[in-house]
Amino acid sequence: MLPERPWRTAASLARDGAGLPDWPAEWRASALARLDEAGMPDGSDEEWRYTSLTAWGQRWSDYLAAAGQPAAITLPAVPSMQPGSVARPAAIHVQVVNGALLTQTGATPPGLFVGSLRQLPPELRGRAAELLGKSAGLPPEQLVDLNSALVSDVILIGTDAGTSFDGLPVHIHLQGSGSPAFSHPRILVDVARSSRLTLTIEHSGADGMLANAVTQAWIGHGAHLDLVRVQSLPDDGMLTDTSHIDLAAAASARITSVDLGGLLSRQSMTVVLAGAGSSATVDGLFLADDRRHIDNRTLLEHRAPGTTSRESFRGLADGHGRGIFNGKIIVMPGAEGSNAALSNRNLLLAATAEIDTKPELEIYVDDVKCSHGATTGQLDANALFYLRSRGLDPAAARQVLTAAFLREALGHIALPELRERLEARLQEKLGGGVRHP
Amino acid sequence: MNSPLLQVAGLRVAVGGKEILTGLDLTVRAGEVHAIMGPNGSGKSTLAHVLAGREGYEVTGGSASYRGQDLLAMAPEERARAGIFLGFQYPIEIPGVSNVYLLRSALNARRAARGESEIDAAGFLRLVRDKARLMQMDESFLQRGVNEGFSGGEKKRNEIFQMAVLEPTLAILDETDSGLDIDALKVVANGVNSLRSAERSFVLVTHYQRLLDYIRPDFVHVLAGGRIIRTGDRTLALELEAGGYDQVLAAAAS
Repeated sequence: MLPERPWRTAASLARDGAGLPDWPAEWRASALARLDEAGMPDGSDEEWRYTSLTAWGQRWSDYLAAAGQPAAITLPAVPSMQPGSVARPAAIHVQVVNGALLTQTGATPPGLFVGSLRQLPPELRGRAAELLGKSAGLPPEQLVDLNSALVSDVILIGTDAGTSFDGLPVHIHLQGSGSPAFSHPRILVDVARSSRLTLTIEHSGADGMLANAVTQAWIGHGAHLDLVRVQSLPDDGMLTDTSHIDLAAAASARITSVDLGGLLSRQSMTVVLAGAGSSATVDGLFLADDRRHIDNRTLLEHRAPGTTSRESFRGLADGHGRGIFNGKIIVMPGAEGSNAALSNRNLLLAATAEIDTKPELEIYVDDVKCSHGATTGQLDANALFYLRSRGLDPAAARQVLTAAFLREALGHIALPELRERLEARLQEKLGGGVRHP
Repeated sequence: MNSPLLQVAGLRVAVGGKEILTGLDLTVRAGEVHAIMGPNGSGKSTLAHVLAGREGYEVTGGSASYRGQDLLAMAPEERARAGIFLGFQYPIEIPGVSNVYLLRSALNARRAARGESEIDAAGFLRLVRDKARLMQMDESFLQRGVNEGFSGGEKKRNEIFQMAVLEPTLAILDETDSGLDIDALKVVANGVNSLRSAERSFVLVTHYQRLLDYIRPDFVHVLAGGRIIRTGDRTLALELEAGGYDQVLAAAAS
């Protein structure tokens, strides 16, 4: 059982090891106060209709019990930043363990900052404060507050105006270690005016892990962010992952979300098209096989005229898995001339599996073009016969069709190596683990 | 006389309780080209699908053997690996599976069934390039999803291309000519003709005689009411063209 107000217990345990600068203290205090008010989300909240946090809470409780022993809360030391020895690195890798930056490889060129709030160069303090202020100004969400209250580090990624880092992707590897481990990774991204950034965030970890991650990104005027989120937790891993992406005028984002592992994974992604002419493309893929519970809640908010969004999620449920797509598009007053398309297609491969899909449109202006749709079905019998008539056995034919169906969701990943790695992982998972009735 | 490659005897097939084939006999020997013609609803496509092993067809009587084996007891993939190819009337679009991927998988499935190792990459590439040239297909087609976004004519051409790569022993082409303009028809016919050999047989299911101007059959059969009611040489097709099915059906009934 969790203690009363477990965030307070957890915060008292986390405080000493955190080593954060003093100034987010207020930020944390107000988050704790709001949590005292609101508590944790439960089934009475429509947005939590499909996912219960009971098992999640149990693991948290285990963690609190274990964290009484000092060893369990020791945080990894922050490494000294590697100087720019590599002339032209192909990528920057940041390893974040239990929410704190552990290692970073690849030197950052001028115009790009990647690092920890705990090791912030003095000249970036102003910008970081501004970013933290933006973060604090977002509408409160319980899991974001929980992250703010218990955060042990903040990973900051920022570009300078007019710079382009298309050829230098930043890879953030979020890992949980120790059993049980409860981590609170926090990533803040600032893509300045007319700059371009490619960012990947991969969630992984060890058995017994629990993480409550938050990513918040602001994309400036005419800037572009390419974001790939990969959830590849161990089979019993649990993750709640909240992201907020805000686009200024003429900004664009291309987002791909991939859920392949874990026992319980719940992401809540909000994309706000705040500036005129901004646009976002969101592709998603989830593989709820075995006993996985994967809940995707997305919100695309059109707040300015001439904004465009295209969202497409593909899901699969097999075994005793449950996949959820709860996607909403809101076109707010003032977002005239906007264009939104939302689609969700699912494959349900076992009678014991479940798919819940709820695409929603809320439109408050007349002059818009919106479409939405969702389908859930089995593999196409005609396509199966076609492949068999060419000599593929039924299992291979099913695997080929399933992989092809899901692979479509990876088509917008701009990093060929990552795309190929994910395709291979998908193939491997479908070849080895997906059962068919 | 050589033993038949395909022997169909008194075959009766029902779909959803309705009998479509009502006692069909057909013998195909190695190297022969047979045309099966008939009006709509006569059972032509049913015959093609039953021979390829599609589900949903209930065999209520008769038999079909391929190289002396009970064809009807074989799974569709076993038939394919044994050298049977069905060219679909409506080829299926499979986005996300490239043509080369499908062909490599299909070739290797066949090779594995024969106890052979997988085809080497260079040999495979050479083979598909040669055959694509034969079918006047742009090489970019190879990397595209199977039939994805293809026009009707491109899909049919792709069927014959697949056949050319897989080199079947018995090819059953279900209305491959339908929906083709004259240029595409010539390419398709040229593809088929280039594969004709003493070991390879074809069953061409078609509604129109037009295809037979370009592929000369050894036998023409008229299928009506679920049975073959007349068999002749290619002049029978010309007769059908001139007089229509009604005349031939009336003559057969009298």
